Amino acid sequence: MRWFRFAVFISLVTVLQAGLVDIIAIKNIKPDLLLILLVFFAIYCNTSEAIITSFTIGFAADIIGSAMGPRIISFGLFGTLLAYLRRVIAIRKMPYQSAVIFITSFLAGALVHFLTFLKGQPTPPNICAVLFGISLYSSLMGPFLFLPIAWCMRMRAYRFSRH
Amino acid sequence: MIMAKNPIRVSRRMLITWFMLAGFIFLFAPQKLTNKFQFAFARIFRWPLSIGRNVSLSARMEQPLTNVVSRSEYSQLQNHLANVIEQRDQEHKKVEKLSGLRDRFVLEGARFVLADVITASIDGSRGELIINRGQDDGLAEDQFVLGNNSIIGTISDVSSRTAQVRLITDSTSRIAVKIAELNASWVMQGAGNNSAKVQLLSIKHKVKTGDVVCARKKPGFLDAPMIVGRVAECERDDENPSLWDITVEPVCDLKRLSNIAVIIMNLQ
Repeated sequence: MRWFRFAVFISLVTVLQAGLVDIIAIKNIKPDLLLILLVFFAIYCNTSEAIITSFTIGFAADIIGSAMGPRIISFGLFGTLLAYLRRVIAIRKMPYQSAVIFITSFLAGALVHFLTFLKGQPTPPNICAVLFGISLYSSLMGPFLFLPIAWCMRMRAYRFSRH
Repeated sequence: MIMAKNPIRVSRRMLITWFMLAGFIFLFAPQKLTNKFQFAFARIFRWPLSIGRNVSLSARMEQPLTNVVSRSEYSQLQNHLANVIEQRDQEHKKVEKLSGLRDRFVLEGARFVLADVITASIDGSRGELIINRGQDDGLAEDQFVLGNNSIIGTISDVSSRTAQVRLITDSTSRIAVKIAELNASWVMQGAGNNSAKVQLLSIKHKVKTGDVVCARKKPGFLDAPMIVGRVAECERDDENPSLWDITVEPVCDLKRLSNIAVIIMNLQ
């Protein structure tokens, strides 16, 4: 893993998510680029790298979110689980990747809302609809972004190794 | 002597434990402390964030029509008119008193600090802006914020060069308001989805859709009532039919705001 390249790339995507992703929003539903990155690194990196990247991406997501903490825990937890799951199941085909993004986004989002509630912050009234929308949008878009991400990170997108 | 450089090896279990611990520290740390990270990010990436926001705003901007003013200009003028009417009424009351004492015009001593919106987080129950002005510019918590000549929120947190604005639609926002000509004060609470609610208002008061809702004056923060929104819906409360359940919509398009003004009343 090229960590400097990773830091620059995450900063860039965080800025994009905070400022520019509104352009492609459909009825206030925006794709979660950071979650797509989380799934990418969990699938294509070794387990230790996947753990570090998951928590780092969670930190980046918290910085542009409503409160600090919920996404670090949620993204870190689900990224780590995905990294261990990938050692057992190969997630190489686009439909599988799409399904993984959908499930991870939905579960991580649910945990984020729960932790946000625990912190005493307001949560949207229609959580399920919002979560479903974001997860669906991210899952449709995600697999198509894997190749450009792999190119930016100088990684082979179709590598599959069991570390 | 050559020393062998041993790389530090940390087990995965330890890695997860430390990261989780960091996560929980962030989760339970006071919001004021953790907000510093968000302010720092907004300050460091101010330029790309502003550019990104301007690009997304211009992408969503409707085509201008000929021979008519734009919706934003129209609402700005309407809001200005509503504010002037409120200020005029207040001045009339003073004249009526005929106190004979010298007084100054409302908002005469106020200073307006113009600021650009760095990031806007408006979704669901959340409505927050991060702006590029802070303590160094005289900003403080609870000061009122104007957008298109209407009150859009208050300063909720402030750092040296950035500040956070809690919009009137945020579910944690509560401000005292008056509705139309009714001479009493009610609390307006943010309800998310670009709306706010006024509750505990008896149905004996006549309220109708389209009535102007104004923020009440607050000594040291606002010298005269200013428009906040208009009544969008006015129905009887389901739980208590003797009360109104009033939905208020802001008179300013909060999602398209690119710059705002903060009212600083208590000038030294």
